[in-house]
Amino acid sequence: MKRILPFIIILVVLGVALGSAWYLTRTIPASPTLGSQSPSGSQTPSSQGSPVAQQQQKPPVVQGVPGADPPHVLGPADAPIKIEEFGDFECPPCGIFHPILQQMHQEFGDKMQITFREFPLVPTHQHALAAASAAEAAGLQGKFWEMHDMIYEHQNDWKKEFDVRPIFEGYAKQIGIDVERYNRDMNGELVAQRIFADGKRGHSLGVKGTPTVFMNGREVPFENLPAEKLRVVIQNELRSGGK
Amino acid sequence: MRKLYVVAALLALVGLADALYLTIEHVTGQSVRCTIISGCSAVLSSPYAVVAGIPLAALGAAAYFTVFSLAILTLFGYPRVALVLRAIVITMFAISVWLMYLQAFVIREFCQYCLLSALITTALLVVTVIAPRLVRGGASV
Repeated sequence: MKRILPFIIILVVLGVALGSAWYLTRTIPASPTLGSQSPSGSQTPSSQGSPVAQQQQKPPVVQGVPGADPPHVLGPADAPIKIEEFGDFECPPCGIFHPILQQMHQEFGDKMQITFREFPLVPTHQHALAAASAAEAAGLQGKFWEMHDMIYEHQNDWKKEFDVRPIFEGYAKQIGIDVERYNRDMNGELVAQRIFADGKRGHSLGVKGTPTVFMNGREVPFENLPAEKLRVVIQNELRSGGK
Repeated sequence: MRKLYVVAALLALVGLADALYLTIEHVTGQSVRCTIISGCSAVLSSPYAVVAGIPLAALGAAAYFTVFSLAILTLFGYPRVALVLRAIVITMFAISVWLMYLQAFVIREFCQYCLLSALITTALLVVTVIAPRLVRGGASV
């Protein structure tokens, strides 16, 4: 018995380890890295019976408290698809999601409206607040989306820098805004209030991380954010008319 | 001396749980999203988190399970197993040092679960490689 006992212990531990891994991967929905091809990556816009379509159990519509007013919006107010993204400019998955959302906007055009909400994860990301402030300060001169795109597209150029303010100031010059006013607004009350208001809205909607995306008031599960899945989710929403 | 292998087996169990958790986080993509408390998203989504298509955390789980098995076999008096155990622990420690370097100087983000794993591997090195030498050295005096 003494010769067998260690093997029994080893087998029991192996069984418990594999069993708990199997249980946990079953209970947590598997999600590929943003932008990667899923195992069923051949999903096409017409794949009505796709796993996404079948699995998509619609969460309830959530209202939450209002965010910054006016919000940063792209697309017509009567668009049947209203996307609201809570993003952090320093978060790598948000940087990956940025071109995906741009692509969706190009594909669906006037059927889609996009709202961006600031959700800087402080203190996890040391420059997230400065980046949000830069975008909001540019927004006060009507160039939010230009700065938003600039900051996301150059995320890898600035996120490891010690002082990002001169870099963002350079972006401000490039998009052609009044840099003096931009610098004043960066540290101004209005920008801080807008970021705070968006954060409050995010918390009221249960946002815990970024990117968190709502479509017509319902949260889109993180695993559905890669382009090929998001496209199917949007098409399903268009077909169902938001019901 | 037997107590050292009991400690090694227990440490390996903690390491196994930690590595399994990281594997599940990696496979399900939970850590890929940025959150207020997690420092693991940048580490787990980096190219260093996968070796030949296999999540590094899964390889870590396999290594901890091997260490656990070998520690148990040593405890039950199987000969020569301790030698293999030491070789594996030294290899794991060397890999941990490399991974710590990657986190500190290349990815420049730290994942707390990866730090815990490095701590456990260091403790395993002390318990299975350094302490037995000290015990033997003390006994021979």
